[in-house]
Formats: sequence, structure tokens, C-alpha cells
Amino acid sequence: MATFIDLLLNALVIGILLGGFYAALSIGLSITFGLLDVVNIAHPTILVLGAFIAYILNTSLGIDPILAGLIATPFFFVFGWLIYQVYYNAFEKSGSESLRGLAFFFGLLFIIEVGLIIQFGVDHRLVEAPYIGESWNIVIGEEIDVAIPFRLLVAFVVAAIATLAIQVYLTRTFFGRAVRAVAQDMMALRLMGVDPIRVKRIAFALGVATAGIGGALMIIVLPIEPSVGRLYIGNVFAIVVLGGLGSISGTLLAAVIIGIAESIVATFFGPSWSPAVSFGILLAVLALRPEGLFGKTAGAH
Amino acid sequence: MVELVIKDLYAGYGAVTVLNNVSIDVPNGQTVALLGTNGNGKSTLMRCISGLIKAKSGTIELREEDGSTIDLTSASPQEIVEAGVAQVPEGRRLFPDLTVEENLTLGAYRQAARATLATNLEYAFTLFPRLAERKTQLAGSMSGGEQQMLALGRALMSDPRVLLVDEPSVGLAPILVSQMIGKIGELSQSRGLTILMAEQNFNQAIRIADKGYIIVHGEIAFASKDATDLRENDMVKSYYLGA
Repeated sequence: MATFIDLLLNALVIGILLGGFYAALSIGLSITFGLLDVVNIAHPTILVLGAFIAYILNTSLGIDPILAGLIATPFFFVFGWLIYQVYYNAFEKSGSESLRGLAFFFGLLFIIEVGLIIQFGVDHRLVEAPYIGESWNIVIGEEIDVAIPFRLLVAFVVAAIATLAIQVYLTRTFFGRAVRAVAQDMMALRLMGVDPIRVKRIAFALGVATAGIGGALMIIVLPIEPSVGRLYIGNVFAIVVLGGLGSISGTLLAAVIIGIAESIVATFFGPSWSPAVSFGILLAVLALRPEGLFGKTAGAH
Repeated sequence: MVELVIKDLYAGYGAVTVLNNVSIDVPNGQTVALLGTNGNGKSTLMRCISGLIKAKSGTIELREEDGSTIDLTSASPQEIVEAGVAQVPEGRRLFPDLTVEENLTLGAYRQAARATLATNLEYAFTLFPRLAERKTQLAGSMSGGEQQMLALGRALMSDPRVLLVDEPSVGLAPILVSQMIGKIGELSQSRGLTILMAEQNFNQAIRIADKGYIIVHGEIAFASKDATDLRENDMVKSYYLGA
């Protein structure tokens, strides 16, 4: 019995921390896909690019990976700006974004991935920081103790701060409110004196900019190789849909739910089952509650 | 003091010309009705004034008291809002997934209106107390009448000098139509707004109009001299009422 409680408690704690990490990976997609209706399927691979930038800065200059992620953020903002510019001019402007746009982001995914493979090969890479490998043991009772790995704790804290900051930005500023309105009615926004294309461009860039920090967390949590992004596609889309398209706080909660579910399944049924969790939840949500946990029902989606 | 002057305007979509040689004058502080049934070009004219579609030829100008003019003909929608022209679009076009308060706040997006946000919000809530009661509710979950109040309130949040109102009566019960038209009349009195209102409902529109135009197939078929002329001229009946 003690062993069972010990396993369950540890699975729960790891699950919550893992959820924070997943939130950091999903938050950018929650903006680009959830709010702007741009199906950026390349998002996880852009995160991997962020992970490799953290890797380079860490191994060559000894910079802390989180700091490296912060340094990379403005570059990812510019990268996102350029991606949207191409996407808008080639597809959205002529209204052909749905299928061709998806193909565009698939192409982007493979270009980044192959570029990374050519440059770095397919070996797993990792970073070094004082908090990686350490953990904090809390003894609760006889044969029951909870281990909190610092690398996951760091990811959780950084994710919570980033989520809160983005939530405040989107609800408390004029520009943030325009971002939340832009997919609902572009013409009405024009009548408010807002240029909706500029709003989308900046918001998309912001979503991609999260890959700086998100990528750094990715390589802090697990060693990575170029094609690892594909493993996260199911995860991040399940989280954004479960949270309710466009709901930032919903994304955080959904990430924690999926984190806990994966962790418990991995503990009791084996890690090979965990990829099935997010896809299972994604299917269940689409069938039972397509608007997600915090989705709006009155909307124009 | 500002006057909206439209001269010899031609506009449309792609190769199709909808507006043919339209000239309209909205004097300062007056409420001008643009009357006509569906599909005669009222909304096209409204969109053209707001810069959503470009004029093929002709001019749209704001004339200031000091005699200077602001040319809106080729201005962007943002520049037109900055110049003080706001529109309540046909079908209301609210942001359904945002709250009442967020919809109103978005109306104050232009730089000049941000400073007076609190005052304007207060004014919108005084004009429509129902909006104050429902400020945290999602716009999409409100009734048609409440949505029209919100659309009008949102346009006022930009602190406009010229207000374009496109079909405020559409989809509303007769009693609400009468209230809404009454509010628009009140606005022109209390705020000195210069208003161009497109409307199908002739009897309601003439209640508050200082003068009116009748638009048929994209052309101005009749321009009244004043309010009395609009109510009593036989031409109005023949064009508009088909009598």
C-alpha cells in the first residue's frame, strides 16, 4: 500500500511539473493557432531550433540555458514576423490558407529539421546547468517520499511566469485585446482604427518568440535531437484544443491535466503508453466538448 | 465643427460599380438620413466613407470650421477613424467572444480616445444602463437589442465627431427600433454629433432626420431641402413607397 501511495504521489507531482513544461511548449501555439487561426504545425520544430540555440550558447560560451533562451527570444520574434509575412502574402491574402497553409508549415517543419540534422547530426544533445540532475527529496512517511527534480521545477516556474505575463498582456493592453478580437471580425477591427494584418503579424511573431524560452526548457528537461519536435505535435495540439482555442489560462490548466494523465499512465502502465494519452484526450475532447474547457460557446469559430 | 461632404462618388467591388455619381452633404450637428431598400448601395456608401472599399472616382471630405479640409477619399480606415469618423456597421459586427466591457474598450483604440477612456466608458454606461449591468457578459450571448446598444456604445468610445450608423433597426422588434432611433436622436442633441444614418425604416428615420436622401440603384434619386421637405414631398412617396 505504501508503495502504491508513494508511486501515485510521485506520479502526481511529476505530472504537475510536466504540465508546466508542456504549457511552455503550447503557449505560443495557443496564440498562433488558438487566437489567430493559423495552423502552425511547425511550432514544436521551431521549439527544437530554440533548444539547439540554447545548446550552442551553453556548450560554447557556458551561458545558462534559460538566459540563452531569453537572448534568443528577439531573434525568434523576427523569425516569426518573417514567417507570417510569407504566409500572409502567399496564402492568407488570397484566402487559400487552409490546405496550402498547412502544407507551408509542414514544409517549414522539414526544412528546419533537415537543416538541424545536416548541422548537428542525429545524436542526442544536452546542456549543463547547476539545477540539472539535482532533485529535492521530501520524506512524507515510512517508505513514502516525493522527489522533485529541479530541472522540471525550473521549467514549471518559468512556464507559469511566461503564461501569466502573456495572459496579462492579452487582457490588459489595447493591443492584446485587439489580438483576441482579430480572428472574430477583421472588418469590425478596421472600423475601430486597427490594422488587423499588423495585429496578426505581431501576435504571430510573439507566438513564435516563445520558442526561445520554450526551446531552452525542452533541452533542460530532456536531451534532444532534431526530429524530437514531431513527438510533441500531438501533445501541444491536444493541450491547445483541450484548453479551449484562444484561452491562455485554459492552456495552462489543460497542460497540467495532460501532464498528470501522462505521468500516471507512464507510472502504472509503462512509459510506452504515454504518447497515447494526449491523442486519446484530443479525440475525446473533439467528440465530447469541441469548445474545450474554457472555450466560448457563443463564438464565431 | 465639421461637415461631411461627398461629391460625385463612384465606387463598387471589382469591376462592378455600385455607387453612381453620389453627392451627399452632412452639415455640422445635423442628422441626415440615407433612405433606401435593401441592395441599393447604402452599406457600400458607408464602407466607402470608412475606407473599407476605395472610391473609383469622386471625393469624400471633412470640412473644418476654419475652412480647411481633410481628404478621406484615399485615406486608410485607421486614418479615417483618427480623423474622428466612427461607424456602427450593419449587422453590428461585435466581437462575440469578448465581454461587453472589452468590446467597448476596443472602440477606444485610437490614440486620441485612450486618454478619455474612463469618461467615455462612463458615458456609454449612462446612455445604456443595460450595458453596465452586463459588462462582464460575452457580447455574443446578448439579445439583439442589447447588441445594437453595444455596437453604438463601441462606436462612441472612439470619441467621434462624425458618426455613421448603418441600419440600426435591422433585426429588432418594433419597440426596440423606436428606442434605438430615439437614442440616436438624443446623441445628436447632447453631443452635437454629425450623423449619417442609413435606414430602410422610413417612418422611424424621419423622426430624427434634419434632412434626407433617397438612394435607388446606387444613385441619389431624391435629396430633401430640409426635414419638412423630407416628410411631405410627394417625390419621396413615389420613389420610396412606390406609391
